[in-house]
Amino acid sequence: MNTKAYPATWAQGDAVRAAASRWQRRGLLTPAQRATIEAAHPVTYYRPNNWIRVLLFVVTLLGAGTAMASATITTAFELGPVAYALLTLIGHLAALELLIKKSRYYRSGVDNALLYGALLAWAFLIACLGRDTDPSALTDPALWRWLVPVLLALLAALVRYADPLVAATSFAAAFALLFNVLLQSALGRLLLPFGMMAAAGALLLALRQLPARDDYFYYRSAGLVLRTLGLAVFYLAGNYLVVREGNAQLLGGGGPSTQIPLAPLFYVFTAGIPLVYIGLALRRHDRLLLTLGLLALAFSIFTLRNYRSLLPPEIAATVGGAVLLLGALAALRYLRTPRHGLTAAADAEARPYFNLESLVVAETAHAPAAPEPGFEFGGGHSGGGGADSSY
Amino acid sequence: MAPPIFRLLADLEAEGLLPPTQADVIRADERTRPFSLHYELRALLYLGITLLVGGLGVLVYQHLDSIGHGVIIGVIILAMASSFAYAARHRAPFTWGEAPRTSIAADYLLLLSCLLFLVLEGYLQAQYALFGTRYGLAAAVPTVLFFYLAYRFDHRGVLSMAITALAAWVGVNVAPLALFTSGFPAQELSAPGLLLGLGLLGAGLASELLRRKPHFVYTYMLLGSNVALLAAMVRLFDDLDHGNDWQALLVALLVLGICTVLVWYARRTQSYVFLLLAAGYGYVAFTTGLVIVAKAILTDIVGWQDAIFSLAVLYFPMSLIGLVLLLVNIKKILHRA
Repeated sequence: MNTKAYPATWAQGDAVRAAASRWQRRGLLTPAQRATIEAAHPVTYYRPNNWIRVLLFVVTLLGAGTAMASATITTAFELGPVAYALLTLIGHLAALELLIKKSRYYRSGVDNALLYGALLAWAFLIACLGRDTDPSALTDPALWRWLVPVLLALLAALVRYADPLVAATSFAAAFALLFNVLLQSALGRLLLPFGMMAAAGALLLALRQLPARDDYFYYRSAGLVLRTLGLAVFYLAGNYLVVREGNAQLLGGGGPSTQIPLAPLFYVFTAGIPLVYIGLALRRHDRLLLTLGLLALAFSIFTLRNYRSLLPPEIAATVGGAVLLLGALAALRYLRTPRHGLTAAADAEARPYFNLESLVVAETAHAPAAPEPGFEFGGGHSGGGGADSSY
Repeated sequence: MAPPIFRLLADLEAEGLLPPTQADVIRADERTRPFSLHYELRALLYLGITLLVGGLGVLVYQHLDSIGHGVIIGVIILAMASSFAYAARHRAPFTWGEAPRTSIAADYLLLLSCLLFLVLEGYLQAQYALFGTRYGLAAAVPTVLFFYLAYRFDHRGVLSMAITALAAWVGVNVAPLALFTSGFPAQELSAPGLLLGLGLLGAGLASELLRRKPHFVYTYMLLGSNVALLAAMVRLFDDLDHGNDWQALLVALLVLGICTVLVWYARRTQSYVFLLLAAGYGYVAFTTGLVIVAKAILTDIVGWQDAIFSLAVLYFPMSLIGLVLLLVNIKKILHRA
């Protein structure tokens, strides 16, 4: 049996058409050539526009719910929850496989809903079988009995259907399991951030093998989700604020958090990881890494200001804003002609976002208003801004 | 192994869809194409400007009584003058079309100088009561100035600021998310809001039809329809509350008229936003108008309560079908123009 539910040519065809359209926008293909390529790689699956996909998703959920309810009523509730969950699981999977084969559905909303329904039925089934575990408590020592079968099913579904949401859920389940296992011992608690970082790092290394595989395009969207989450967790698990506040929570919460062991190491992680992300992104021309690096840098600055208030917020905003502005202006000037494989010019293939930009200006560009008489400054973290439109 | 895009290229070459020389050109382009930091740098520029203006705006008022505040005012004036001078030096010659973008830096520095102008104006009013109690004038000065600059420098961001200042003059909030941040406009502002919105929509239509800065139309239309439709909704429900049914019917018809214009523009520019906006507001206005008419006709013939119930049973499933039909055909509706 083929391990992939959808023919790999569907994803491959998507990639070919996207590349052809990009090359045409860059002037590397004539429109006629693009049309020939598209004719040779036509869309052979069914996927409507996004509105319809959402609609189909909801309708399928409602339909599946109705079918389950009528099955329960016709059997007069006599079979017990395990049997009903099993029935639901089999029904969903059968319908899913059949619709992919016969109607050529590819993430059309219907197949998504059936897949998620089947996985939920499985999770419910396992929860029914192991009555002594409580899936809602992350610290429950018996959680693995529920989590391991669920994770295995998720991974199987990921390999077969390559669904982005299933990828995200598998990631969450795997890291919840790791978290849960490490929490059970004192040593594990101490190593918790390192365990998370090591797992995320291993995932990132493994994902680097994906582009070399023949089925890269089939797994591309799922791989992108996993990579985003892996990069985020790798940074957050080493972030000083997350580790310190998380540690305080684990020790019982309440009161201000206290200094953590190995603090200097986490300072280094907090400061260093965003810079490494940004540096690597610029070297490897990796936009995801760059975006996450910039976000991580912003969160690192927030972390620093949370514990060490170096400057009053309005001065920090003024100085920071000026530095940012001058830095970006300098970068614009420096990269006017492409250097080191970088450029400040827009990609010819990128669609402009100017409309969006003017709306952002309408939403955010207000000068801070004069304070009301009697208004005292002091305290508060916001740097002004966001004035009311009424004068 | 080669990156995936090269494998695709090799496949296309093997299928005979691309001649080898052209495939080599594409391969070279994929390998040497520089990585664009355009949008990242723009975002950082905008973030820097927002932080700088926010910080300076607070600093000005904090140091009103100290010696430092002269320095701060000096810095603001200097920054405003120099960024405006830079923008003025790099401006493109005036055109009614879209001017070629000469410099990203000039675009953002113009925005910065406009924001600093607002800070400075607010300071002069707070410290020296420059406009006295003529608050309208305080809003009119930036409105006129920003409209002029938006057209002269061909800048959509400054246009948004001009419209925002104009709305502040009238006393309403035109920001796209105004409904979520400040709720429905107050009842007494619904008439000025409606007039302002209609005026902006008129300006948008005129720009589109006369081809005067047609790339400004989107901003006019979105901000204008936002404020006009919100104000009309307030008016509509207020009239219904007070039993002014016929006046409410007129407002509902006005909303339907605005929605017709939006649909026309949506089809002209293939914009989902305007189509959905028109569909949402149009549905509310149409339903309300139908209820008013039905109430007027049916009250005398059969009992009002019975009639409304049986009509609702019919009407809502039909609207659901209408929604499905709209979503199924949304592409066709937009692209048949």
